[in-house]
Amino acid sequence: MKISWFHLMPYRWLPADFRERYHSVWVDVPNQLYDPVRGHELYNEYLDMLEYADEVGFDAIGVNEHHQNAYGMMPSPNLMAAALARRAQHAMLLVLGNSIALYNPPVRVAEEMAMLDVISGGRLIAGFPVGTSMDINYCYGQNPVTVRDKYREGNDLIIKAWTATEPFPFNGKYTKLRYVNIWPRPIQQPHPPVWVPGLGSIETWDWCVDHGYNYSYLSFSGYKRAQKMMDGYWERRSARGVEANPYSAAFFQQVCISDTDAACEREWWPHVDYFFNKCLHLYPGMSEAPGYRSEASLRAGVVAQVGNTTGNMGMNKSWKELVEQRYIVAGSPATVRQQLEELARALRTGHLLLGLHIGSAPRELTQRSTYLCASDVLPHLRPIWNEYEDHWWPKALPAARRVQPRRTDASQANDERRTTNDAPRAGARP
Amino acid sequence: MSAPRTRLLALGDGRPTIEVLEAGDGPPLLFLHGAGGVPAWVGALPLLAEHFRVIAPLLPGFGQSTGLEFLEDQLDLVLHQFDVLEALELQRPYVVGESMGGWIAAEMAALRPRDIGRLALLAPIGLWRDEHPVADIFGMTTPEMVPLLFHDLQSPAAQEMLSLGALLSDKDDRSEAQIETLIGMARGMRTVAKFLFPLPETGLERRLWRIHAPTLLLWGAEDRLVAPIYGELFREKIRGARLSVVPAAAHLLALEQPAAVARAVTEFR
Repeated sequence: MKISWFHLMPYRWLPADFRERYHSVWVDVPNQLYDPVRGHELYNEYLDMLEYADEVGFDAIGVNEHHQNAYGMMPSPNLMAAALARRAQHAMLLVLGNSIALYNPPVRVAEEMAMLDVISGGRLIAGFPVGTSMDINYCYGQNPVTVRDKYREGNDLIIKAWTATEPFPFNGKYTKLRYVNIWPRPIQQPHPPVWVPGLGSIETWDWCVDHGYNYSYLSFSGYKRAQKMMDGYWERRSARGVEANPYSAAFFQQVCISDTDAACEREWWPHVDYFFNKCLHLYPGMSEAPGYRSEASLRAGVVAQVGNTTGNMGMNKSWKELVEQRYIVAGSPATVRQQLEELARALRTGHLLLGLHIGSAPRELTQRSTYLCASDVLPHLRPIWNEYEDHWWPKALPAARRVQPRRTDASQANDERRTTNDAPRAGARP
Repeated sequence: MSAPRTRLLALGDGRPTIEVLEAGDGPPLLFLHGAGGVPAWVGALPLLAEHFRVIAPLLPGFGQSTGLEFLEDQLDLVLHQFDVLEALELQRPYVVGESMGGWIAAEMAALRPRDIGRLALLAPIGLWRDEHPVADIFGMTTPEMVPLLFHDLQSPAAQEMLSLGALLSDKDDRSEAQIETLIGMARGMRTVAKFLFPLPETGLERRLWRIHAPTLLLWGAEDRLVAPIYGELFREKIRGARLSVVPAAAHLLALEQPAAVARAVTEFR
C-alpha cells in the first residue's frame, strides 16, 4: 500500500476560551484572530514538515482546500503544492484538491494542475472534491441545489481540456467557451490520476466508479466509525461489477506516535485536545445548506442507514475515548503498526492518508512522530495489497529524467561570502 | 374553519405538476406562499376564504408539488406562476404573496403588468440594503429563526415551529412521520435555496417601476427577518403603493395577526 503525509494546516493560536466566545471555527470566524506574522512562521514551518515527510520516504505529501477556516489555512492548495514541488523531490503531490465548481472558468483548474504536473515531472494527483457546504455554499456562494451539476460539467471540461490536442468549443450550461486550448498540458497521459474526496454520499460512490476515480473518504472520526461507510462503497462497486481493487480507495486517519503509549498521551494530548475541542467547534446552523445533499442521501443520513458521522466528530472526549474508539491512532510504533494494519485490512484501503500533524502540535513533536512512522511503521504496511496494481498513482517521469532545482550563481556566491566574512548580501540580479 | 379542497394540476410534459389548495367563494385571490409553504390552513387564509375564492398553488418541492428540475432560473419560476394562473383560468386576479411569495408576486406584476389585477405583499423579500441585511435563513438553526419570525414566542404557532426544530438531532429516535416531516421541510427549503441562495436579491428593485397594479404592502412592526425599513423602500419604488405596518407582529404577520391582515387585504381596493 501507499502512505501519504497529509497536512490540514491549522492555526495554532486560537484563544483558550474560543468555544465560549466564538460561533464557529469556520465561515464567520473573525480574521482579527489571525496574526499574519505568526501565519508567516506557521506556513514555513508546515511546509518544512511536508518536506521532511518527503525526505524520510512517504509516498506522497498532501494538501487540501478550505476557505475561511481556522483549522485549514489553505484556500489555495495549488500555491502550497507549487511551493513544495521544487524542494520535495521524491514524493507525489497529492492535491486533494480543487473544488472545481468554484472556479470560473474551470479551465483555470486544468491549467494550474497541468502547471503543477509539469513543474513536478508528472507527480501530481488531482483531487476533485465537490467541497463541503461550508466552503462552497456559505463561503463561496455557490447554489447548493445546482452545484453538483456544475461540478460534473466542470469535470467534463477539465478532462477534455487535459486530453484534447486541438482547440475546441465548450457549450456548457455553466461555462461557455469558444476556444479551449490549455498551455501547458500535463505530463501524465492521458491525464493525472483523479481522486475524489467524499463524506459518504451515494452519488459520489457512483461517480467515482463510473469515471474510474479513486474515492477518498475523509473523516475525523477514525476508522472504526468509517466501516459502514466503506462497506457501502465496496458493495456499490461490486454491485456495478467493478473489481474491488483496494487502491480505488483512500482513507484519512489522524495518527500520533511517541516512543511509548504513555509518552504519547503525555506529549500529544494538548494538541489533540486543541484539534477536537477547538478546531472542530462548528456551528450547526451552517453545517449544510438546503439542497446540498440529494433527497436520497438526506434520507440515508436522517435514518443513519450508512452511518451518520457528522454528529459525532469527537468533541468533548477524553484521550482514552478518542484512542479506544480510534478517532485517533496513537501510541508506540508497535501499537500504531498493529492498528493501521487493522485499518487497512478492515476498510480494504490501499491508500492511507496520515494526519501526522494534529491541532497545535509543534515542529519537533511532529517530526519525531513522522520519523518513527517512516522507520518503524511504513515498512510493515507497504506489502499489504501488493497483489493488486495501483491504477490511481501518478506516472511520473523516471527520477533520472526529472530536473533538480539548481542554485543560481548569485546565491552560491552569497553563501561563500557569508562563510568567509560578513559582507552584505549581493543583489538578486547580476 | 373547514379544510381546503386540494387537487393536483399537471401543467404538461416537461413541466411541473402542482398541488393547489382552494377554499371559499367570491372573487378569486391567488395566494403565493413563503419559504415555509402552507403546512396548515390557518392564520389569515381561512378568514380570507370568507370573502374570496382563495387559491394557493404550492411551488414544486412543497406539499405534493413536483418538478423543480424544470425550473432552472428565476425567469422560469415567474413564467411557471403564469402557467399556473392560465391553467386555473384566472384573469387579472388579486395576487397576495407572503415573504418569498411576495417577491414572486412582485416579479409577476413587473414582468406582465397588465395581467395582475391587484397586489398585496406581506413582508416581501427581494430588496437589499447593506445597512439592513436580510437575515440568512439558510444559515441559522430553527431556535434562532423563530424569534425573527414571531413577535410572541409563546404563541402556539411559534411553539410548534420550535418543536419541529427539536426533531433535528443526531439520534435515531424519530418516528416515520417525523422523518417525513423533516424531509418535507428540507425539500421545500431546497426550492427556496435554488432561487434565493445565498441572499435574496435578484434585481427586483430595477423592475419595480414596471408594476401597474394597485399595491398594498403589509409589514409586521417587529419583523426581524426583513426589517420594516424595506416596507418603506417598496412603497417608494412602486407607484401609488400603500404601506400598512401591523403592530405586535413579526415576519409571519398572517399567522400572528390574522384578523388585521385579512381585514386589510379584504378592504384594499
